[in-house]
Formats: sequence, structure tokens, C-alpha cells
Amino acid sequence: MRKRTVLPAFLLQCIPKSVRVRRDELIMKAKDLMVPLSDYLSPDNTLEEAVRLLISAKRGESRVGVKGLPVLNDSGKAVGMLTMRDILKAVLPSYMSLMNLGEFAWDGMLEEMARKVADRKISEIMSPEVTTVGENAPLMECVDRMVKGNFKRLPVVDAGGKVVGMLYERDIFLAITKAMHPGRKGRHE
Amino acid sequence: MNPVAEVTAGPLSGNSFWIATAVFVVSYAVIVSERVHKTIVALVGASLMLVFGILQQHEAFRLEEFGVDWNVIFLLIAMMVIINIMRPTGIFEYIAIKSAKWGRGKPFRIMVIFSIVTAVLSALLDNVTTVLLISPVTLLIADALEVDPIPYLISCALASNIGGTATLIGDPPNIMIASRAHLTFMDFVYHLAPIVVVIMVFYILAIRLIWGKRLRSRDELRERIMGMDENEAIRDPVMLWKSLFVLAVVLAGFVLHGALHFQPATVALFGASLLLLLSGNKEPHHVFAEVEWPTIFFFIGLFVIVGGVVKVGLIKWMSVRVIEATQGNLFATSMVIMWFSAFASAIVDNIPYVATMNPLIIDMAHQLWPHETGLNLLQHSDLMPLWWSLALGACLGGNGSAIGASANVIVVGMSEKTGRRVSFMKFAMYGLPIMVMTVAIATAYVWIRYYIVG
Repeated sequence: MRKRTVLPAFLLQCIPKSVRVRRDELIMKAKDLMVPLSDYLSPDNTLEEAVRLLISAKRGESRVGVKGLPVLNDSGKAVGMLTMRDILKAVLPSYMSLMNLGEFAWDGMLEEMARKVADRKISEIMSPEVTTVGENAPLMECVDRMVKGNFKRLPVVDAGGKVVGMLYERDIFLAITKAMHPGRKGRHE
Repeated sequence: MNPVAEVTAGPLSGNSFWIATAVFVVSYAVIVSERVHKTIVALVGASLMLVFGILQQHEAFRLEEFGVDWNVIFLLIAMMVIINIMRPTGIFEYIAIKSAKWGRGKPFRIMVIFSIVTAVLSALLDNVTTVLLISPVTLLIADALEVDPIPYLISCALASNIGGTATLIGDPPNIMIASRAHLTFMDFVYHLAPIVVVIMVFYILAIRLIWGKRLRSRDELRERIMGMDENEAIRDPVMLWKSLFVLAVVLAGFVLHGALHFQPATVALFGASLLLLLSGNKEPHHVFAEVEWPTIFFFIGLFVIVGGVVKVGLIKWMSVRVIEATQGNLFATSMVIMWFSAFASAIVDNIPYVATMNPLIIDMAHQLWPHETGLNLLQHSDLMPLWWSLALGACLGGNGSAIGASANVIVVGMSEKTGRRVSFMKFAMYGLPIMVMTVAIATAYVWIRYYIVG
């Protein structure tokens, strides 16, 4: 826990109100910035089902469609992540990742391969190593995880390890923007 | 020189025979069980031979009869370096696409051409490299033609094991045999290449029987193959010509190494260093990083383990038993070696097997001709068919099962990645009959060429 300095009341009144508000807003945690969990996948879902959910999933109140979803087991714990990139990788035949054969692809190959992988299970395609953050984690810890692991979204977990929300790169970016320009309107104002 | 020396040093010299035998047997058993990575097992076994004083470090590192065969090690490393530099030029993609177009997009014709190309490349490069370079393209072609890729993968592995038998550098058993028996590249070309060509003809007839009728494609799909431009595969034409030049120098060096009195590793190391120089590579780190160090250290460990049991006399004891069993009849011995090697190599890695058989054959020679030494002993005219039987059996035997050769393990792994598993039984269904057929042809060859014609 971060130690907060309490100023004497008379000094506090000397500080303009906008600055005081800004200080409080700056001390946000993962849970303050996350979007509560609404859509997620199960390891037994097929790729086709996953694709459908990715396009229809809600992110927050206004946005529809996400680029990645957590894969949760029956007890709500994250067992993997499935992103658009994982789906692109699943469509790319294994032999093309072994050698430089991109020049020899034919028209319609992508569509053929997409039909071939439609029934594959998410458990075979997802990235099985998932990095989560605790709901009380400071935002810098979240940034650390995102930058080092090259993630654009992190599942936020409660004390029992259950996923309670998703934290997106863009929302952290908006928090940074706000820290630099306190006057500008961000999503979480 | 008598290869059986007394163990004089070390705290356990009295029990050295049993300790060395135990290290050898346990190491090989753990390698077969695949519970621990084979390289780790080989290195633990080797270091135990040193710690228990079975071998002194200088014996393990410096003596040919008990220690690491650096000729084998540096030949392997140098060839790997050459391939690592050649691979990014796109030459292998070029050859494979060109082959598919020679096949005019016809599925079985392509399978035959791929088999021949794989066999020829395997004779010049090692089998694993060849299969790693050819099979991704066979998968692409199978997808383009909408045919089952599994027959292509299996035929690629089988052809690579057959082709690798033909030359000194084609397969690790041959490299090891050549080094211990001081055989030249041209010895292998005279004695093994002709029969490998015959075996390939029978192999193609066999795959025609197995898959010839089953592979069908449509005309419009063939157009996909004919529309591919193999020239697009070449990424670095300048480096390609440099690589082909160096490869030609290396092959010429192999052809002449006997006459010039160079060891094969000298030729390969010269080629590798010349290509490194010509490549203008300022940071050769990645070229060396891609050398298969686990394989190299597997060899190093095995040489020391086998050196230990040679020193304590286990191998001599085994060779006496073999001579007793065959009553000194070298034709019978050669046939036993051929078939035993084939089935042993189908079940276990042929590298540790040949590492053990080499000193065993040399020990047999010591007992049969106690007054001969040097090349007169190692290349005694009555001993030569045994070396060829060992090479033919150990290399061709690899086809017998999915784990018989590294090339097989690779294609089985690739088939799994495409979502079609090749089970142990399914591989054996094709591999075992092919192995029996090819070893039978090799048996007839050794019998006729060395015992009837003489």
C-alpha cells in the first residue's frame, strides 16, 4: 500500500481544487481502470465460436468487438488468452512457419485454411501462458507486465485467482494522458 | 596395439570391469527409455567413466581407441555450419518447387521425384537436415493438390534414410565407421552407392504399389503448382553462388581426400571456414548458434562411454562371444551383423549402436588376425564385408519404425502439427516392409559381391 501524505486542512485549502482531484485520480489501481468481465472463452470452444464472440463481445459500454479474450476454466481461472494474432497463426499452415514459402501461396488458400481450422479447439490454439495482475495492483505493475510480455490486455484477478475484469493498453494510455494533461477529458472521467 | 589395457588408476580399479559395464548398460537403458534427454544421459555416463577412474581424462580427450573421435565431431560441425549458411539463400525451396514442377503437378510423379531428390540430398547432407528442408515443401504441395500429405512425409523420411546410406557423409553411422576403419569417401561410393541406386529403384516400385493408385488430383489444382515461380525462392543470389562454389570444393575434396591424405573433417572444416570468410559475415554468432550442439555432445558422451567399456574389456569379451557363436565364419558373421544391426537400429538410435559395434568389429579383427596392424588389420579384405554390412544394416534399419531414425521422428512431429497423427503402428506398416525389402537386397548384394564374386 502506498503511504499517503495528509496535509493540514489550512494548507489543503490553498491548493486549487483541480490539482487535488488530479492527485486522487492518479492513485488508481488495476480494478479502477479495468473493464468488468463480461465475455470469455472456454478451452472447449471451437475456433469458429471464438471468432463469433470476438466480433460481438462488448468492451465497456460503448465499444463492440475485441482483439483478444481470456480463456477461463470452470472455476473462473485464466488458463490462456486468445487473440486475433493467435487466430492468424492458426490459419497459417505449420510448414509455412518452418520455411520461407509465402511466395508460393495461391489465391483462395487463406479461405481454404480458415475452413480447415474452424473446428479446432481453443485449447490447441490459445497462448497457454497467461499473465494476470491482481485487482489491487498499482498501474505501474500493469505497465511493467504489458511492456515486458508484449501484451495489449491483461486479465485482472481477485484474491482467489478468479478473473474479474480486463485491463486494456488503451485505458492505461488514457490514464497516462490524464496524468500529463489533467484538463483533458478521458474515458474514465 | 592391444586395446584391452589394465585400469591402473582410480579408487575403484579392482571393480572397474563391473563399474564400467554398469555405467554403459544403465546409460543405454535410460537412452532407450527416453525418460531423460539422450545428450544429458550420454554426458552423465561419460563423466562417470572419468570420475570412477575407468578412463583418465587424457585418454577420453586424446586417444582414438578410448576417447572422443574428433574427426567425426568436426565433420558434423563443419557440415552443419555450411548448411546453416546455405539455408537462407533459398536454394532448398528452389530445388523442391522445381521438383514439383518437374512432376508436372501429378501427385505420384511428384512423390517419386521428391523421393529421388531427398535421397540425393541425403547422400550429400545429413538426413535430418534434408528432411527438415524438403518436407515443409511437400506439405505445401500436398495442400495445393488437395491430397493426403502423410504418404509424402513418410516416403520422404524413408528415401532420406536410403539415400544417406550411399556416402561417407550421408548418415552418422557411415561417418563413424569411416573414421574408425579409415575408409575414404570413394570407398563408400564404390561399395555402397551402387547398391543404394538399385535399392532406390526397388523402393520406387514399392511406393508405386503402396500409393500409386491412391493419389489423385484435379487438373485445375495442378495449375497451382505450375503457376509457382521457383526463382522467387532465391533470396540471396550472390551468397547462393558462393555457397555452391564452396560445396563443389568440399565435394571435390571428399572425392580426393584419400589420394591427398586428408581426413574428411579437414575437408569439411576447410569448406566451412572458406564459406564463413566468403559470406562476409561480421557476426557469425547465429551460424554457430544453429549448430545442433545437443547432437554433438551426444556423440562426445557416447564415445567416452564406449571407450570405457573398450578399456575394461567388455567389448573384447563380446567380440569373443560373437566369434564363438559364428565359429569364425565371416560370411555368417556379416549376415548376422547386417540383420541384427537393421532390427537394432529400428528399435534404438543407430548412433550409440554403431559407436559400440565399431570397437567390437576391430576387436574381432584383432583376434582373427593377431599379427596384422594398422590398415592391414582395419581394412583386411575379409573384414571389409563386415564394415559394409554394419553400414547397410544400421542405415537401412532406421526405416523400420517411427523412432528408428531422426528423420522419421521429424516427419512424425510435422504430421502432428498438420493435425494428422502418424501412429507408431502406421509408420511401421509402411517402414517395416520397406526395411525388410531393402535389407534383403543389401544381403543379396554383400553375398554376391564379396563372397561369390569375391
